[in-house]
Amino acid sequence: MASREVIEYETGVSKAFNVFAAVFIAFYVVWTVLPIFIMFMSSFKDLLEAFKLPEVGDWAGVKVFFEFTPTTKHYYELFANLGFSTYLFNSLVAAGGSAVVSVVLGSMCAYSLSRIDFRGKKDLFFWIISTRMAPVVAVMVPLYWIFRELELVGTLPGLILAYTTFNLPFAIWILKGFFDNVPYAIEEAQMVDGATRLQAFRAILPLVAPGIGAFVVLCILFAWNDYLFAAIIGSGGAKTLPAATRELVQPQNIQWGQIMAAGVVTTLPMMFLGLVIRKYLVTGLTMGAVKE
Amino acid sequence: MTNASITLAVPSQKGRPALELFRVRHIPDSVESRPSSAVVAEPTSINPPGSKRYYFLLMAPAILVLAFISIYPFFWMIYMSLHDVDIGKVEWNNFANYLKLPSDTRFIMGWALLVQYSAMCLFLQIVIGVFLAVALNGSRFEKVLVTTLLMPMMMAPLVAGMVWYFLYNGTFGWYHWLLQSLGILGPKSILASANTAMIGIVLVDVWQWTPLITLITLAGLKRVPQDQLEANMVDGASPVRNFMSVTLPNLYPVLLIAIMLRFMDNFRFTDSILVLTGGGPGNATKILPVYLFEVSFKFFKLGRGAAIAFILLIVTIILGMLLVRVFERGQPKKG
Amino acid sequence: MFSIPKNAVYKRVSRRKFLELGGGAASALGVGSMTLGLGSTITRSPVQAASSEDAKWKQYAGSKLVFMSENTPPSFAIRDNIKAFTDLTGIEVTILTDDLPVVQQKVGIDLRGGKADYVLNYVQDKPIGAPFGEFYTDMTPLFGDSTLPQDPDGYGDDAWFENFLSACGRFYTEGKIVALPYDCAVACTFYRQDLFEANSKDFEAEYGYRLEFNKDSTWQNVIDMAAFFKKAKEAGKDVPYGYAQHQGSFAWTTQLDIQRFLFANGRWMDWNIDDVYGSKDPGKTNWGDDSSIAMLTKFKELADVCHPDNLANGTLELNTVYQAGNIAMQTQYHEFAASIEDEKTSRAAGGKTAYAPCPKGDAKWIKNGGEAVNGTNCGIGGIGINGNASEDLKRAAYIFAIWSVSRDNQFNVLKGLGGTPTRKSVLEIEEVKKAQQRPTTMPNALTFDAVYNYGIKNPNFVLGPKIPNANEYHSILAAEVQKCLSNEQSPEEAAKSIQGQLDELNGAG
Repeated sequence: MASREVIEYETGVSKAFNVFAAVFIAFYVVWTVLPIFIMFMSSFKDLLEAFKLPEVGDWAGVKVFFEFTPTTKHYYELFANLGFSTYLFNSLVAAGGSAVVSVVLGSMCAYSLSRIDFRGKKDLFFWIISTRMAPVVAVMVPLYWIFRELELVGTLPGLILAYTTFNLPFAIWILKGFFDNVPYAIEEAQMVDGATRLQAFRAILPLVAPGIGAFVVLCILFAWNDYLFAAIIGSGGAKTLPAATRELVQPQNIQWGQIMAAGVVTTLPMMFLGLVIRKYLVTGLTMGAVKE
Repeated sequence: MTNASITLAVPSQKGRPALELFRVRHIPDSVESRPSSAVVAEPTSINPPGSKRYYFLLMAPAILVLAFISIYPFFWMIYMSLHDVDIGKVEWNNFANYLKLPSDTRFIMGWALLVQYSAMCLFLQIVIGVFLAVALNGSRFEKVLVTTLLMPMMMAPLVAGMVWYFLYNGTFGWYHWLLQSLGILGPKSILASANTAMIGIVLVDVWQWTPLITLITLAGLKRVPQDQLEANMVDGASPVRNFMSVTLPNLYPVLLIAIMLRFMDNFRFTDSILVLTGGGPGNATKILPVYLFEVSFKFFKLGRGAAIAFILLIVTIILGMLLVRVFERGQPKKG
Repeated sequence: MFSIPKNAVYKRVSRRKFLELGGGAASALGVGSMTLGLGSTITRSPVQAASSEDAKWKQYAGSKLVFMSENTPPSFAIRDNIKAFTDLTGIEVTILTDDLPVVQQKVGIDLRGGKADYVLNYVQDKPIGAPFGEFYTDMTPLFGDSTLPQDPDGYGDDAWFENFLSACGRFYTEGKIVALPYDCAVACTFYRQDLFEANSKDFEAEYGYRLEFNKDSTWQNVIDMAAFFKKAKEAGKDVPYGYAQHQGSFAWTTQLDIQRFLFANGRWMDWNIDDVYGSKDPGKTNWGDDSSIAMLTKFKELADVCHPDNLANGTLELNTVYQAGNIAMQTQYHEFAASIEDEKTSRAAGGKTAYAPCPKGDAKWIKNGGEAVNGTNCGIGGIGINGNASEDLKRAAYIFAIWSVSRDNQFNVLKGLGGTPTRKSVLEIEEVKKAQQRPTTMPNALTFDAVYNYGIKNPNFVLGPKIPNANEYHSILAAEVQKCLSNEQSPEEAAKSIQGQLDELNGAG
């Protein structure tokens, strides 16, 4: 930390920079939080109250934003009449299921990839990661067809498998990095002690467990936030929260209060999870390229 | 905290593998778990004795599932793209689906708009994101602030699109009111004009993903050699020059990765654009993935859609190869 | 391609192979209580022509059907009351609702895949019926089937409002009927009576006629009114904007908005094809002719005095703008009246809004020698039966279809969530007659005079164009006109560009 003091010597320029930086950060935090705040507040407003706006340029009029009688009726409506508890459940099962499937299959695959070498391994590995990069729209039509052949359309297992298309390559890619860093010597020692290969594999799992846990959460996040798969493969028997939120745009009335409430219901759990795995977030979102 | 760092396939520094740079508490050094880019170190001791069959068996389920949900659809897509699959018939049509694309203005514009959209998003994200990271780095509130900035990234793109639609709305949107009150916009809302709609959708992407650039940059900043900065400063270099000559070159590899990842995500996700403008007004925001969605799922021109999808996929794969190459030799340049 | 799977790659891989290929893992996931498959099932107890009505209704008791519908009031209302149908027939119906574009996607893939996941479909005339009409079951043989229950009101053209049966049920041929009218959206004018009255004097001083709207009001009047309100609003007066078009991101309603305007002025149409049945090969388009350029110029003139958000507001959003009290007049589908009259969500409720037919063309504008009419168009949503379904499945679905469009059911929907009747007999019900005057318990009924007695009658009504490429046509038209309205191209350039693209689209270049 000693080095920091050297950097923080003060000149006019650096002072100005610091002030400007502080202002900019403040501005940026507001810009980041404001849409979420407005979504949150609007979810407690009646439709007409949510429509209230001051005159252009009337800065004092901003107070009308806070002038409303809070109502929880949108939330009530979502869960009591619009089946959001089912959609919430679907989201949980689809996202959770795909995360678990991806990480279980993915860790087996990643472990093996990390432990052996063979010709074409690099190509195989590239192929794995390229499946994750494929634009969703591009593969949707053929995928839909295959899923229907198996009668998986509109079912939760179908949606789980659909999410696995992007979560599994992700899991393999990331988890291989984990296993690469567990020396083979540990398994060797286990096996010398009489453990089977499988037992040895199990023995090293605790070493990578915290990381694996974090990536389960990331897989949940990716799947939870998906819309296209949910709309085309899941909808029907397996409607998830984003698909259900979109459906609130109804011909007769755009239910903004309900949409905002649904937005809150969809977003809050993920924000919470994001905090929980904060440490691994950058690694996950950059596919392992960058670490904190 | 000096142990936070980036490990980009650093082959071997000072005789030890890259894992030295990253530390996780609770676990002894020798067995620490660490997420790492897969192409990273391939430890030499790894090839175990004994048959490989066991490992292939472990690998098999994942590979089979992936093959099933990626290779199979892929060939199916190629098949479709080579046939006329319009209502009621399947006919080989001599590459007509592909040959018609060069004269399809919406296809060409789709690419142009995709590049324009990505360039605008990335430019703003990099400029703001890097500046933000520099400003936040070492600040007392770094942790709290970074956590706050994370929030938009956790939001489903579809929900983000709807929230921003609500904010931009000319009738009851607070951002519209704000932009009007500041004199930036007239009464016409941002999505209602072909000139500004693109900016409208760019801002949503900037809102959601600039924090990622900030996080990446922050991670990069932690490994900028402090001694070099100090030495330069003793030599009388200004902070600005120091930033340009030492910090930035060190950030370059991580930023490159960030750029490519974001660029590819723009190929993958169209949820928010579908909600915000649906490609309009007047095709002004019809980037290629949106057009592809329209061709396949609105016009049901599945053959043409497959041809577009195939080209999009090939470009993505080429980009992916470049990205992996960057991963592989993404060793930071010494400034 | 979906419909001819024999020579396709995917078919060569048998289901057994599929499972071997890795579907095993997928199917393993498929077991268990989570499975909510879409499959319809059939159980049947045979009946004869002489059997009792009750036996005919109940012949498929124990069966399960899936109905894929748009998220419109009838579907919600029927879903709420589905028990009545199950009690009557013993058939269980799962009603899935989605946004129209999503319905279109799913139904399209289902039909073209040769599957019948959705036995019953919402056949919205142009977006779904025009491209997929051939994939639906011809209902005509079922109408006369004495082993099926039948609606006493019948299914002939006279049972429905004029042309409704053809609109959603007949595609490219007269002989086949593939859907029964389930609900409808017909355009009419919603305007703020209170604001019109309050500003009448000022308006008259400027334009020399009274500010009022009726069936003789022309599009020129609409331009005047919109200009008047816009000017007043921009001068700081406490009035909203006057008018707004449907030029948002939903291409189909954008096309309808343009079509109304052009049709009103000389009954101009995009192609010289049969308006009722449509054509698979429409030939060269009329876009690019003098009328189209002149009308587009006027359309642009109107756009310039509209609400500034003209290009961001589709049909739904526009209705919100009206609800919020930010425009004084809109051309809107009559199903929206219920939301306008709802005091809880609308500032235009409580007698402030009046309803009239769509504006009329202006004789002075007409270049093609045609007539000036109150150009009115529609979306007639039918209920159709997937042609891929088995014979029994079709019959069971038919029972639901005729029940859902029966007079009593339509009346229930109208009373409940606010439906849009398609059967003439609904309007003859005493309660419905009364409901057409304020105060009313069925707000949609306030529009019935303008719509059913005027708008849908000859020569005002335009049904088409029904062409297989309808959806791409909507998209091309919407995009080019939007470019014109946002000053990226002149009306002439837009008309020519539309002409080129449409002729290319239909292979008529």
